[in-house]
Amino acid sequence: MKKRALITGITGQDGSYLAEFLLKKNYQVFGLTRRTSTSNYDRIKEIIDEITLISGDLLDEHSLTNAIKESQPGEVYNLASQSFVPVSWSQPVLTGEFTALGVTRMLEAIRLAKPDARFYQASSSEMFGRVQETPQKETTQFYPRSPYGVAKVYGHWITVNYRESYQLFAVSGILFNHESPRRGLEFVTRKITHAVARIKLGRQKKLKLGNMAAKRDWGFAPDYVEAMWLMLQQEKPEDFVIGTGHTWSVEDFARIAFSVIGLNWRDYVEIDQSLIRPAEVDLLRADPAKAKRLLNWEPKTSFEAMVKIMVEADLKKEP
Amino acid sequence: MTTALITGITGQDGSYLAEFLLEKNYKVVGLVSQKHDIGDQNIQAIKDQLILMPGDLLDQASLEAIFKQYSPDEVYNLAGMTFVPKSWEIPTLTFDVNALGVSRLLELMLKFTPKAKFYQATSAKIFGLPGQSPQTETTPLKPLDPYSISKAAAHYLVQNYRDHLGLFAVSGILYNHESERRGEEFVTRKITLAAAKIKLGLAKQLVLGNLDDRQDWGYAPDYVQAMWLMLQQESPADYIIASGRSHSVREVCTIAFSYSGLSYRDYVVTDKNLIRKTEARELLGDAGKAQRFLGWRPKTSFKDMIIKMTENDLQLLSGSNSTSEVKPVCAGREAPTSEV
Repeated sequence: MKKRALITGITGQDGSYLAEFLLKKNYQVFGLTRRTSTSNYDRIKEIIDEITLISGDLLDEHSLTNAIKESQPGEVYNLASQSFVPVSWSQPVLTGEFTALGVTRMLEAIRLAKPDARFYQASSSEMFGRVQETPQKETTQFYPRSPYGVAKVYGHWITVNYRESYQLFAVSGILFNHESPRRGLEFVTRKITHAVARIKLGRQKKLKLGNMAAKRDWGFAPDYVEAMWLMLQQEKPEDFVIGTGHTWSVEDFARIAFSVIGLNWRDYVEIDQSLIRPAEVDLLRADPAKAKRLLNWEPKTSFEAMVKIMVEADLKKEP
Repeated sequence: MTTALITGITGQDGSYLAEFLLEKNYKVVGLVSQKHDIGDQNIQAIKDQLILMPGDLLDQASLEAIFKQYSPDEVYNLAGMTFVPKSWEIPTLTFDVNALGVSRLLELMLKFTPKAKFYQATSAKIFGLPGQSPQTETTPLKPLDPYSISKAAAHYLVQNYRDHLGLFAVSGILYNHESERRGEEFVTRKITLAAAKIKLGLAKQLVLGNLDDRQDWGYAPDYVQAMWLMLQQESPADYIIASGRSHSVREVCTIAFSYSGLSYRDYVVTDKNLIRKTEARELLGDAGKAQRFLGWRPKTSFKDMIIKMTENDLQLLSGSNSTSEVKPVCAGREAPTSEV
């Protein structure tokens, strides 16, 4: 019988890559989707016939229990959340409802309906916020700097708790930033590559950015979804930090992106003070040594290669 | 006249704080949840001096009405789902009340009373299995149950609203604090009540979990003063409020039973089932910062506190008070295990 996996957030960047990855591994893939007035299946349109969508919502515990009963998953990947940090300042309560409580609801649904299912929780490097040590590893103390980060810390701890208290196979992957052509336009990397493509095609003249010196540990999303899967194939449930271990600045990103089309970023980028976040996090850099040691996982795609892939994808998307 | 809003006013801390603020000539508004009503026995004596407003931390509109009508200068958020074992049964509700309730209040402060001051009741349980003893304000958090995780999230939220949105919002990290008004699901009160019952022939034995569990126990009326002091400072900061000494459950038994003229060894039996799922290690608070900046220190000793509680329970049960006051604080709520 085929292995079965349920993915929340399947229409997102990570969910869609993970679904493709699992389909290749011959899984039967179920995706939880919310009914919204405008459906956004862009990222899964290529595979939509191969997956089963179940309607449900992290805000509604009953719908999650039904989704678990219906899909009978061996693995559950909880990737859905309100994931955009600035929005968490304007909608802190809703962010908590989705991003924090959604985890508890899903864990409860698993505990009651399919306690042998393995659970993956998408934790975030934003939990480290004002970093207490660099690089950050699994034992680094959290210090979240936004309602989003706070909600993710809650999701992480409740996952650990259900593992320790109910003996669920529940793990948390603390993923550092990971980008791809499917990254939402509200994220700076995609904002840059999208603008670069439009500038190349003469549809845009300038690109406004905030803090150019901000540095992140940026990896390539398709590499990272493999790590999620690996975590659920281990004998013991454990948490892992997933990152590249290297940091690049927004300026580095812009420089490389513009150089892909043979332009100099300085001629096009304008600094906009209003884009600088109220709560900038400090230098986030992963120490992925544990993932290398126990999962034998390493990032495959270099930073330069990723930027190039993203620019080229945006050039293709612009008709 | 300064106006204070207290959520959880009918609880142990809320009622003591209300008395304290009334003495300071505050106008005191209390949020009283209809859904999670624990009864008004704790505020009976001061009820007509309070403004009691129906509402719930889950219900933004009810909170908004209070902010609009009273524009509180100080907000003390003491309401919450506070019983750890229960948080395993209702983990989502626990977070909704304890963490999202804080978001709701802070959002209303931003909107209606940005100059007001906010006190959040954080629990020492956020330290869970602390790597250091005693704990200070900088000890890493390691919460071990849905209750403590919700409190840790709320604690971080308060820090964020203070650091990034400029609110005067502080957390008091309070270690266990007990009193005559402690709910009977908590182990100290469970013991003093049982000692009194056994003394009066109303019960025969007392079943407890681990007698060697140790906690840093203080006296609630001392602790509410620290809450107020935190909001009178020039700049907002978080403080640990603790006695700095730990005592075992066995010591509580010894004092309560011997005050009743009994030996606990004759009546206390232990039951392994009452030991909690994930056991917290001994929590011990270092209230040095509070002493330095607030000039606060606990006044009532552990022994005096247990005696006061036992004395009160003996009085309650021996019929020297009206029967309505015999009603335990959390009447109707089944206590699956005791709480330290």
